Amino acid sequence: MSQLQIYFLRLLLFLFLQSFIFNQLEISPSIHVIIAPLYLFLLPFDRSIISLLLIALVLGVSIDATSNTFGLHTSSLLLFAYLRPVVFRVFSPRDGYDSLKSPSIFDMGNRWFISTFSILLLSHHLWFFTLEAFSLNETMLILQKTILSGVISFVVCVILQTIFIKRAG
Amino acid sequence: MQNLIAFIKRIRYFIVFFVFQFFALSTYVSFMSAPKSSYFTTASYITGTLFEIRHSITQHFLLGENNVALQKENIELRKSSSLFLYNNESSSSRVIDSSFAQQYEYIPGIIINSTTMKRNNFFTLNIGNIQGVKKGMGVFSSNGVVGIVHNTSKHFSVVKSVLTKNINIDVLLTEIGTSGMLKWSGESPNIGYIAGISNDIKIPTGSKVVTRGGSGIFPRGIEVGVVKKTNTIEGEASWHIDIAFSQKYAALENIYVVKNLFLDEFNTVQNK
Repeated sequence: MSQLQIYFLRLLLFLFLQSFIFNQLEISPSIHVIIAPLYLFLLPFDRSIISLLLIALVLGVSIDATSNTFGLHTSSLLLFAYLRPVVFRVFSPRDGYDSLKSPSIFDMGNRWFISTFSILLLSHHLWFFTLEAFSLNETMLILQKTILSGVISFVVCVILQTIFIKRAG
Repeated sequence: MQNLIAFIKRIRYFIVFFVFQFFALSTYVSFMSAPKSSYFTTASYITGTLFEIRHSITQHFLLGENNVALQKENIELRKSSSLFLYNNESSSSRVIDSSFAQQYEYIPGIIINSTTMKRNNFFTLNIGNIQGVKKGMGVFSSNGVVGIVHNTSKHFSVVKSVLTKNINIDVLLTEIGTSGMLKWSGESPNIGYIAGISNDIKIPTGSKVVTRGGSGIFPRGIEVGVVKKTNTIEGEASWHIDIAFSQKYAALENIYVVKNLFLDEFNTVQNK
C-alpha cells in the first residue's frame, strides 16, 4: 500500500474509533477520551501547516457530524494542528528531523513523544472543555476534566500506537 | 506596499488558521442556540442512517429494562381506562364525554443515539418531519421528562436533552405549588437542579417535581424527579435545589414527542 492509502485508511479508522467507540464510552462525566489529535500528530514531519489545517478541518467536521458537537472538535483540532509545528520546533533534535521517520513513540523515543504530545494534547483538551462549558463559573470542573481526560487519552493513544502503528526496523 | 505583502506572507498560516477557526466557532455558537439546518448534526441523512444501523445492533442490550418500564406504563393506563374498571351503574349505555377535549398529541419514537456524560448531551430520534416532529416540541418518556426537539430533518431529529447547559424547563413543586427553572450542572447524569425559588419557602426533601406546562411545550404534570437537597447560594435570595431525576437517561430508548394542538392559540394569547 502506498503512503497515501495508509494515511487515508488510518483517517477512517480514527474517525470510527472516535465517533462510535470513544464518544459512546461513558465512564464518568469527567472522562472523555479524545484520540483524534493522535492522527494529526502522526502525520509526516514535512507536512505544511496549511495541509495540516485542512486535514484537521475534514477530520473535525466529520467527528462533529456524528457527535452533535457542532464545531467543538473542529475548533480544538485546528488549534492542535496550528500548534504542532510550533511545539515540534521547540523540541527539535540538534540535526533537525529525519524526514524518513514518523513522529510515533517508536521512531522518536519515549522522552520526545511524552514531552511534545502531552503539551499538545493538554492544550487541545483545555480548549475543548473550556469551549464546551462556555462559562468561567465552571473553572474547577474544566480543569478536572482536562487533567483526567488528558491522562487517560494519553494512555489510550500510546496503546493505540502499539496496536496499529508499525514499529520501525 | 511591499512591506504589506511581506507581512501578509509572514502571517499567512495564521490567517488560514483564523478563517477555519472562525468557521468552526461560528457554527458551534449558532448551532448551540438556534440551528438553521441539519447539516453536520446526527439529524443529517448519512449520520442518521449510520446511527440507525448501529442501533439495530445494540438495541437489545437494554431490552429488559425498557420492557419493564413500558409494562409499568401499560398497567397505569389500564388502571385508569374505563374499559378495565368495574361498572357500578347498571345501565350499560355509553356516555360520550364532551367535557374534555384533546389538547396534546403524542408521537412515539426511539432514541437511536445518545450520550449522557458530556457537558451538552443531545439524543437522536428515528422520527422526523414526516411523522410531524417540529423544532421546539417537548419529548418525554414513561418515567419522566427528556428534552426539547432542537433540530429536525426528513427522517431524523435531534433532541436537546435535560442534560444540557441551557435547558430551562419550567417545573413545579407539586406539594408547595411554587415553580422554578430546571437546569443541569454537568456533574452527574442523575442529578439536576432547580433555580429561581425564593429561599424563604421551606422545601421538604422528597417533594415531587413535575413539569408546569407554562410554555405550551409540555403538558402539566409530567414527572421530573424528587427533591434531594436544598442548598443556599451565597449572596442570593434563592435556593439551589438538587433533584434526583426519575428517568435514568443512560438506559432510555422509548420516548414520546408532544404536539400541542393549541400551541398557535396559546402563543397568540400570550403575545397580545
